Amino acid sequence: MFLSFITDLFQQDFMLRALAAGFMLGILAPLLGSIVVVRRLSFIADTLGHFSLVGISVSLFLSSLGFSYFFEKPLYLGIIFSVIGGLLIEFFRRAYTNYKEISMVIVISLGAALSAIFFALASKTGSLYQYLFGSILTVTSYYIYLIFITLFIVSVLFIVFGKQIIAVSFDETSAKFLGINVGLFQIIFMIMLSIVVSVLLEAAGVLLISSMMVIPVAAGMRIGWSYKSTTIISIIFSELSVLVGLWMAYSLTIPSGAAIVSINISILLIVALTKKIINMRRITKIDNAKLK
Amino acid sequence: MQIYINNLTFAYGIKTVINNLSITLNQGDYLVVKGKNGTGKTTFIKCLLGVNEVKPGTIFYDKTDITNFKKWTTFGYVSQSLDNFNYEFPITVLELLNVSSTKGTMPQDRLKLLDKMKIFDIQNQNINSLSGGQLQRVFIVRAMLNNPKILILDEPTASIDKQNKEFFYQTVDDLNKNGITVILITHSDELEHLNYTHTLTMYDDYTNSFSIRNEGGEA
Ligand SMILES: Nc1ncnc2c1ncn2[C@@H]1O[C@H](COP(=O)(O)OP(=O)(O)O)[C@@H](O)[C@H]1O
Ligand SMILES: [Mg+2]
Repeated sequence: MFLSFITDLFQQDFMLRALAAGFMLGILAPLLGSIVVVRRLSFIADTLGHFSLVGISVSLFLSSLGFSYFFEKPLYLGIIFSVIGGLLIEFFRRAYTNYKEISMVIVISLGAALSAIFFALASKTGSLYQYLFGSILTVTSYYIYLIFITLFIVSVLFIVFGKQIIAVSFDETSAKFLGINVGLFQIIFMIMLSIVVSVLLEAAGVLLISSMMVIPVAAGMRIGWSYKSTTIISIIFSELSVLVGLWMAYSLTIPSGAAIVSINISILLIVALTKKIINMRRITKIDNAKLK
Repeated sequence: MQIYINNLTFAYGIKTVINNLSITLNQGDYLVVKGKNGTGKTTFIKCLLGVNEVKPGTIFYDKTDITNFKKWTTFGYVSQSLDNFNYEFPITVLELLNVSSTKGTMPQDRLKLLDKMKIFDIQNQNINSLSGGQLQRVFIVRAMLNNPKILILDEPTASIDKQNKEFFYQTVDDLNKNGITVILITHSDELEHLNYTHTLTMYDDYTNSFSIRNEGGEA
């Protein structure tokens, strides 16, 4: 089973594409995920995913009416709708300043409802499953190209504005005194997040996007001693889950998002348990030392 | 930079917390804002920093009305409970200072400040492993990083132990002697260590009094 996976990996185009996509997403997800965690926005990723799904369903619907361009590239509308979803969240957050989570409930429900309606209108409810749980094995080369562009833009933003992004994320009030425009930052970050979420949707599925962004970071936080080390460890965990997940998706024919996220969670559990055991050992050692 | 506050009044809803507050400070002054808990000291600072909107009354920085003021980088600010910070995610002291430095500050400046605040040794430690006092000093270094003209400290000694307190006040004095305007908020009456030039006292009934320190004596 594993051998045929390796040979297919290098002989089948679809496997190469899946590998390339997985590798790039493996970097992208925790890179943005760490900021998402620091800013306590984990649920926003899922909310944006639901709105991205609206874009995809509308795309499928329009193509069922004969606009074939939309059918070939549903992700474009996915990205546009994701950004609209992000702006809607901001809008509702300002309307319910003391109950900010209400805004996410409104947008996530609206997203789920609209998606279901347009999938049905397009008579495509059968393809809903792959969008819910991910299908990295069937990605097209245009998708690879989109991920590459996204990774490139996000990397450039991080290289140029990384300092500001991290400073604001840890402490929004201090940003003013560092000469950073917080409002502008929030909008740029929301747009960046919307795009990354749409791009992740294909591989992870709507229901598992935030897991791919957040869980490797949650594991990395247990081990990391600095921002840098935490991010690097998270990326390593993320790559590991993407690769093993890809193999599982291929050999067991299960959705890729589900496979990747199960590995992610296994890593988190192993890290948490190991840490607990090490801490317990340390405590008993100290106790023993005290007894002497 | 000069600070002119004229007839500042501020209310949370119908509850007026600051009444007719007027003060003028020149560059290099040292203002102590004192008063019991809940008398409006932090509220006043938030007005100064443009967080609370000033409705009746005016604040001018030099000749600029606060509503048009943009040069917030002239301020260094350490908030009261440091609770605006998102803790738990690992970040080292040096990493935090690096991302908080704007153009023009050198890495050795950061180290010098850490040394001055006696926290040089913890520069590679995770923020989350520090004690309250260490954390407070890290945030003071951060506030000083970009060479502010005005330093605002909201109850900075709350979690600093006694022997470090005197040393801390000494450091603030040194900064003040170098020409930085200092606004220090405290709820204690122990002002004997402080070389302040002005006091603003806030009272339980939300009134206030401003005074200039007499030569050599108590204000
Ligand atoms: N955001 C707020 N909304 C409503 N009331 C507030 C708010 N912040 C402070 N207050 C009230 O205003 C008064 C002054 O608070 P504060 O400025 O924090 O006092 P101090 O800093 O002197 O302890 C208190 O009675 C407090 O309960
Ligand atoms: Mg206060």
